Amino acid sequence: MDHAELMLTAELAAIRLKDGELERLGVEVDRMLEYFDVMDSVDVSSFEPTTHASGQCVSLRPDVPSEGDVALAAGGRDAASIESMLDQAGDLEGRLIVIPNVL
Amino acid sequence: MTADMQRWRELLASPAEYTEYLKARDRDVGACLEIRVSGHEGPLVDAGSPPSGSLAGLPFAVKNNIAVKGWRLTCGSKLLSEVVAPYTATAVGRLVDAGAVVVATTNLDEFGMGSSTDNSALARTNNPRDLSRVAGGSSGGSAAAVAAGEVPFALGTDTGGSVRQPAAFCGVYGLKPTYGAVSRFGLTAYASSLETIGVLASSPDLAERVFETMRARDPRDQTSVERPAEESGDARSDAFGGTSVRRVAALRVGEGLSPEVSDVYRDSIRAMRECGIEVDEIDIPSLEYAVPAYYTIAAAEASANLARFNGIRYGIRPFHSDSPQDLIMDARSDGLGAEVKLRIMLGTFVLRSGFQEQYYEKAQRIRTRIGRDMDSVFAAYGALLSPVFPTPAFVHGDSSMDAFAQRLADKFTVTANLAGIPALSFPAGVRGGLPVGLQLHAPAFAERRLFDLMRSLAERFPALPCGGPVDKGGAL
Repeated sequence: MDHAELMLTAELAAIRLKDGELERLGVEVDRMLEYFDVMDSVDVSSFEPTTHASGQCVSLRPDVPSEGDVALAAGGRDAASIESMLDQAGDLEGRLIVIPNVL
Repeated sequence: MTADMQRWRELLASPAEYTEYLKARDRDVGACLEIRVSGHEGPLVDAGSPPSGSLAGLPFAVKNNIAVKGWRLTCGSKLLSEVVAPYTATAVGRLVDAGAVVVATTNLDEFGMGSSTDNSALARTNNPRDLSRVAGGSSGGSAAAVAAGEVPFALGTDTGGSVRQPAAFCGVYGLKPTYGAVSRFGLTAYASSLETIGVLASSPDLAERVFETMRARDPRDQTSVERPAEESGDARSDAFGGTSVRRVAALRVGEGLSPEVSDVYRDSIRAMRECGIEVDEIDIPSLEYAVPAYYTIAAAEASANLARFNGIRYGIRPFHSDSPQDLIMDARSDGLGAEVKLRIMLGTFVLRSGFQEQYYEKAQRIRTRIGRDMDSVFAAYGALLSPVFPTPAFVHGDSSMDAFAQRLADKFTVTANLAGIPALSFPAGVRGGLPVGLQLHAPAFAERRLFDLMRSLAERFPALPCGGPVDKGGAL
């Protein structure tokens, strides 16, 4: 992968790479991609791609309140309270999460 | 209840003593990230009263990428080092409902990415059998906690071998269940289509009891499934007669095994034959492509799953940023380790427009072929035996086992994840004071077959005493 490709991939991955890191990661990424090329030597065109690990369809529950929702409402063991979620934020103003100016 | 289980129950009934015991044991091993036995009101269990629940009074540890409400959920990452889990994973909740008690969370390779637990940003874990060596990974803390005699069992997660490999390095049992058998709700996702919550335990019976307690369809995990009818109730035997698996395939392994693992593998095949099992060595050519296919899929899923860790709602963030985008880039750049960044970069690349067919789709087709090949194996054999890792536990920083070499060494474990089938790692021998583990695979939902087979071979493959080095009889 050339420098421009590497930088574009890093940007898409939302990772800022420092100089030494860029070089080292570039070598590692190339090494893995070269290794992936071994897959070119096998013809698997007659096989469908696996799209679900256990071949099961996605199972949906009926659209009615479930135990999980009841637990949430009752503040049960599995309930994640809004406060406990907000407590995790890096910077709060009241009940709002602070981020740098967008504009 | 066995004497061993009674001992655990008594330990847990004295929180102060147990805390001291745990901390003393863990001082040199470093398996745990957080230990919390006390802080509960009164004794956790009453050693005098009869136990209720299938796991009543048993302490356990949880790999720190599985949520336990009120405990930190670091995933071994600097980025998440201060995050506290706001809810409890279904698998943990089911064990607690059965009477088991969480006493510790355990160290891991960051987000489960590695084979040594040295990729943790938070602590160093040593192998209790030889402290100069790694415990394996990524569930190294859980394996070490069991092998050091800190807890009778611990939860791990297995995306490409992360339960079985540390189990092999530490000389304990490690079950990677069928994909979908155990709910993943509360497991911090890395590669969703490959990973399962698994068990590390000091005995196969306990591993089975824990697994049976955890398994269930969970409305909060859409990929979890009911156990198939033929495996439910008291239908103890399966298509191959359950306890009487008579034909086992052993993966033919050419070069690439260390003398220790090669020796134990040959010995084990011989021992199984002496126990009356017909063992045929077989080739599975598609496995040559298993590791590249696995890393393509795992990296792709990781790049998507880990995109949420951006420092906005939770996680360590920089003191100052000029824009939200800067905040995200800096939080991720400073907070994520080298292996995680590499896999995110790789995954982002293989999913990019123009490259998907070459890498991701190809890998998914190879995955289908490997699944079919495993079906063929199980049409003729009750189980498949293979090594777990090419070497016993290696020394921290071993230059012959760099990150790339560790990834290649996943060649024996990723098959079970790609095919979604169960596999049980068990201590098969000891060489030079180090445990060597092998693994048995079975068809999807045939975990019971693995445990039955293990029990039938118990005399030849006994459990190793837990507590410390093997040559000291497990004593620290």
